[in-house]
Amino acid sequence: MVKYVLKRDGRRVDFNNQKIISAILKAMNVTDAGEDIILAAQIADNITRNGKEEMSVEEIQDCVEMELMNGPRKEVAKKYIAYRNKRNLARKAKSQEIFKEIIDAQVNDITRENANMNADTPAGMMMKFASESTKSYVDECLLSDDVHDAVKNGYIHIHDKDYYPTKSLTCIQHPLDKILENGLKAGHGESRPAKRIETAAVLACISMETVQNEMHGGQAIPAFDYYLAPYVRKTFQEELRRQGEYDNKDYSYLNNFPIDDYIKRDLVGRQGDERIVQFAINQTVNRVHQAMEAFVHNMNTIHSRGGNQVVFSSINYGTDDSAEGRCIIREILNTTYEGVGNGSTAIFPIQIWKLKKGVSYLPTDRNYDLYKFACKVTARRFFPNFLNLDATYNIDDAWKADDPRRFEHEVATMGCRTRVYGNKFGPKTSIGRGNLSFTTINLVRLAIECMGEENKEQKIAKFFAKLDWALDISAKQLNERYDFQKTALKKQFPLLMSGLWLGSEKLSPNDTIESILNQGTLSIGFIGLAEALIALIGKHHGESAEAQELGLRIVSHMSERVNGFAETFQHNFTMLATPAEGLAGRFTKMDKKKFGIIKGVTDKDYYTNSSHIPVYFRCTPQHKAEIEGPYHKYENAGHIFYVEIDGDATHNPEAIMSIVDLMVKNDVGYGSVNHNRNLCLDCGYEDATEGLEECPHCHGHNLDTLQRITGYLVGTTNRWNSGKLAELKDRVVHK
Amino acid sequence: MEVLEQTMADGPGLRTSIYCAGCYHHCEGCHNPQSWDMANGHWVTVDELLEIIKADEISNVSFSGGDPFYQVEAFTNLAKRIKEETDKTIWCWTGFTYEEILASEQLSMLLPYLDVLVDGPFILAQRDTQLLFRGSPNQRIIYLTPKEEDVIEGTVPLIKLR
Repeated sequence: MVKYVLKRDGRRVDFNNQKIISAILKAMNVTDAGEDIILAAQIADNITRNGKEEMSVEEIQDCVEMELMNGPRKEVAKKYIAYRNKRNLARKAKSQEIFKEIIDAQVNDITRENANMNADTPAGMMMKFASESTKSYVDECLLSDDVHDAVKNGYIHIHDKDYYPTKSLTCIQHPLDKILENGLKAGHGESRPAKRIETAAVLACISMETVQNEMHGGQAIPAFDYYLAPYVRKTFQEELRRQGEYDNKDYSYLNNFPIDDYIKRDLVGRQGDERIVQFAINQTVNRVHQAMEAFVHNMNTIHSRGGNQVVFSSINYGTDDSAEGRCIIREILNTTYEGVGNGSTAIFPIQIWKLKKGVSYLPTDRNYDLYKFACKVTARRFFPNFLNLDATYNIDDAWKADDPRRFEHEVATMGCRTRVYGNKFGPKTSIGRGNLSFTTINLVRLAIECMGEENKEQKIAKFFAKLDWALDISAKQLNERYDFQKTALKKQFPLLMSGLWLGSEKLSPNDTIESILNQGTLSIGFIGLAEALIALIGKHHGESAEAQELGLRIVSHMSERVNGFAETFQHNFTMLATPAEGLAGRFTKMDKKKFGIIKGVTDKDYYTNSSHIPVYFRCTPQHKAEIEGPYHKYENAGHIFYVEIDGDATHNPEAIMSIVDLMVKNDVGYGSVNHNRNLCLDCGYEDATEGLEECPHCHGHNLDTLQRITGYLVGTTNRWNSGKLAELKDRVVHK
Repeated sequence: MEVLEQTMADGPGLRTSIYCAGCYHHCEGCHNPQSWDMANGHWVTVDELLEIIKADEISNVSFSGGDPFYQVEAFTNLAKRIKEETDKTIWCWTGFTYEEILASEQLSMLLPYLDVLVDGPFILAQRDTQLLFRGSPNQRIIYLTPKEEDVIEGTVPLIKLR
């Protein structure tokens, strides 16, 4: 008796003779004589009892061919063979076609799915080949049938599906102090604990670069200022030792000299200890500045991710108000303001200012000066973005002003918006944790399918029913992926699981990661609330109070269901305002094909991200904040608020401060300001003109023009996919 | 008359910009020549404007046009009420020079309520896109109330427009 079938992908599944019967019946159906169910069953039975215990798919098909050829229905054999060949060819042709597109370096949406990646380089092509092959493997072998159908038909999208077979997790906030205090072991290199700022900054790079290759999402440092602050003092002490060596004296009694702020000052007129300390401070500031420059430079140049991408890096800072922490903040901001190389805007790391009343926001706060400077920096360089620790859902009672580890109770975010904070299975913190995987629901598709209903109430009720179905299938899919991920061994993620991921230090190399995986989150995201609302009631939430009410009803309902999944499946389920890059155009294309052009819904080449109001809609920043702010509390896996501003932001940093005030007033969790910034790489001319093609000063064409895409900055739009390009064209300023 | 809410191009921060109709300077190359004609606008009361201004908790106020000094009494009335009823700053653009305004008892009635005056006609021949909030270098940003110092110790000097 045949018990198992060896599938093409190598998986062993239970034998089911019904599959043989239905394949034969299909072939019979296209002949003149039609079905003969008895013959089909006989053939299947013969194969079942051929004495083998396991057969491959190809072997079974060979047997069917033989049986048909030897039986009374030779014309069925012909059809069966023809169909088999066609399927084989199709399987081959599909992958060959995609491979050929990659080889020819064709510009299409396959090679431009991710604007940060250069898919034309050999390493980039290699990654694309792998990515395209694994996607179909996942579809055929790892997804359940109903999930596969929902994906194939454009209801849901599984993010980073190409990484699914690797069992990799999405992202992590690095507990950098562990690396700095213990050193690290990566590949063939080992490092001792850091003793000075330069080493600390380089270790921060190596930590993110190494772990990036063990995950498929972003790498972030949750408290850049707190982690690096101790190495500012160590560097100061090293400078004292150097001076002592030169003067043949011991200045170690100054090691803990109280320093109010690390500010460079003239030595003229200073005597004795004051002069020694000030000289050491001046040297320290220079070295911290250099270290920050090296850090930023490294993050923008080293293509450590598969050899074709820089790390998706982010750093959070702003709340360390010690002299040393302030020195780190001031110098990373100085470096960012100045730019890299000849003054270009650094694209990485994404920088995030942690805004907290009493620390880093109000005029009476110790870090207010640096907050003001941060606004000036973002007016020229797009970063830092602003993370509102005082949002009602971000306040943490465990935070105490005098706690030296208070940063553990400050929410931190990935630059793109993804965040983890709440935790059903351990400490509530962002640190040492991250997202495991996420899946996005196409709200527009669900809404379009309800447009046929005449009655508004029924239309909306039908939408909610469909939404529940999509939520259920997304939760099922995420849970299945979780069950697959948890079988990974610790040794598959050498640095990540060496103690960076919460609890991983206690595992042995051959242990599975099952016991610690629950520290991460499973997130359900959504796209196209605006278009869904137009489909349902004719208006989006930016232009109608009724739409806003329905929008909030939809999103709060999703949030409730997602919280329910956390109970049912016993995982940290969260809801995400999806950063849809490749997806922005993909869903739209599918829906357009299926339903044609629907005004306000499928008449563009993209869908509006998550709960944003459409980019083409004109309104004041205040209106945008009032409409979008209320969604953030539901989107506990991440959200972002953008304002597109007109005029030259560089010379109006007060506008940035006003927008931050709007964010705080409207309980916005995370936000930033988009504007134009052009730099002539030949002569250094800078301005904010839209669509600048020639430098007005030297008439050169070597221009660096910056735009933001789903949270990331991109210098040229050559690598944007068609959906995102269309969205960019439609963006209007808010005033 | 037109009101632009929360614009970022007419002075620092977000501003409620009040563009009045009517201007007799007729500078060559004016970016807003449709505003020369007094008839090319609609009448708004001070109370209506004040309501818009006060409804916006974040924005300060800018007067532009047109030239607000051709309706100096109405703008003085409005500016006085803004200063009495809010703590918002007022920037005002005009084609007159500061000296011309000072010399006229009638025109200068608005000055006590302004924080910043951007003065002088636009001169096309001297056009410079690298100027802050102005079109040609003869125009001046005149601080009538003290300017807030914004040097932040230890940070790199910011690139500044003239």
